[in-house]
Amino acid sequence: MSFDLTVLTPHLEPLLAGALLTAEVCALGIAGAFGLATVLGLATAGRGWAQRLAWLYVDVFRNVPFVVQVFFLYYGLPEIGVYIDAFWTGVLALSLVGGAYGGDVVRSGILAIDPGVVEAARVGGLPRLDIIRRIVLPIALRAAIRPLGSVFVNLVLSSSILSMITLDEVTGTARGVAAETYRPFEVYAFLLVAYAVLTYAVSLGIAALHRHLNRHMVASPGVAGSEVAGKGA
Amino acid sequence: MIAVEGVVKRFGAQTVLDGVSLAVAPGEVVTILGSSGSGKSTLIRCINGLERLDGGRITVDGLDVADPRQLAQARRLSATVFQLFNLYPHMTVLRNVTLAPEVVLKRPRAEVEAEAQALLASVGLAGKADAYPAQLSGGQRQRVGICRALAMNPRYLLLDEVTSALDPEMTAEVLAILGRLAGRQMGDGGTTMLFVTHEVEFARRISTRIVFLDQGRLIVDLPTARFFADDGGLAHPRIRQFLSKMAPSNTVAGAEVTV
Repeated sequence: MSFDLTVLTPHLEPLLAGALLTAEVCALGIAGAFGLATVLGLATAGRGWAQRLAWLYVDVFRNVPFVVQVFFLYYGLPEIGVYIDAFWTGVLALSLVGGAYGGDVVRSGILAIDPGVVEAARVGGLPRLDIIRRIVLPIALRAAIRPLGSVFVNLVLSSSILSMITLDEVTGTARGVAAETYRPFEVYAFLLVAYAVLTYAVSLGIAALHRHLNRHMVASPGVAGSEVAGKGA
Repeated sequence: MIAVEGVVKRFGAQTVLDGVSLAVAPGEVVTILGSSGSGKSTLIRCINGLERLDGGRITVDGLDVADPRQLAQARRLSATVFQLFNLYPHMTVLRNVTLAPEVVLKRPRAEVEAEAQALLASVGLAGKADAYPAQLSGGQRQRVGICRALAMNPRYLLLDEVTSALDPEMTAEVLAILGRLAGRQMGDGGTTMLFVTHEVEFARRISTRIVFLDQGRLIVDLPTARFFADDGGLAHPRIRQFLSKMAPSNTVAGAEVTV
């Protein structure tokens, strides 16, 4: 049997549509996960009831298989009158689980901040929200953004499970095409490439964000190594 | 007026401030001396509201720092310069200086930036406005820290061992700026300064008053000349012992003070 990509030609349209749908659900899911991770990171790095509640959330969502969460949202919730379509169930599920994993990453970034820097902002009279937005998060994210990227890449991979709730994303579509054409090798080769492209796009985006957040770490010409010297001071 | 009345501060079982009282009137330059662990820095941190008091009361122009609302007001009146600079590492030098005036005092950006540029130029950092803290030397960073504090036009300037993390040369450059500042302020009764320092010679030249903390207690509070008089502060064995161990560094003592 020879490797013949032309067998895919008649099915290219649904496959690409599936890949686009995967990209959409993942982009929205990552955005939601980012937001939730930020809130959970701030809460778990803090104190009081908000911290306890956030930990409970993180523990619950990290300790339940993703497919079970998806089934619960899609098949369980309608029993109590909550209907969400497959697409938005996918976005919600990815946001919820990504937020749980990402929250711990953001938290570690926050805990790594030199407390003196935050004290300077407090003494300067900056309101709490301004301190979080202008000082705490930008500093925390410059360290946390890369491990957050790993969480997001994992979300893209997990999104393949959404085919189980009738969403015509790329994995589900590919399975259909494979069954129809009896050419699993070519079809799944396409699938491999599709996920590689999607995750690579996420990695590129994260790398760009990382560069932006760490622009101040780049020594200007003539002061090379000043960062090292500064740490020793 | 900063009024510290019978302040008690404990960390666990350890009492760091044990009934400290101190009043700093407008126009004064007051230095707090004392060995490490005597509670000097903690006292500054209590005044700017970074530590919660376990007893006593602190007011800044009548505003009680234990009350969150009044503390927010009090923090507009005072500014702090820190031992380890505590600059915002992700912001340029200029942004470090303009952030609080713009966000807290809600002043227009252009005006604040022009003022910040002038401040930076006055401490020899005219060309560094767009640099990041990591690209500066320790002395330069502390000069930015001073500019950041001054940009708030504070009535009270709190300085917490601002040269302790610097080598003698950088210490001299920072002290020269502070000396100039103290000299200018004493003249017009502007910014009042409360220093915590180990630079005894410098304190002697610029302070109007010196207080001495020992194991959380304020044991002496005297005008500078009286503090160094044989029948004044030096009559106190603990102070004599302290000063004898503080060999004044020539470099530091030689720091130019243009009054």
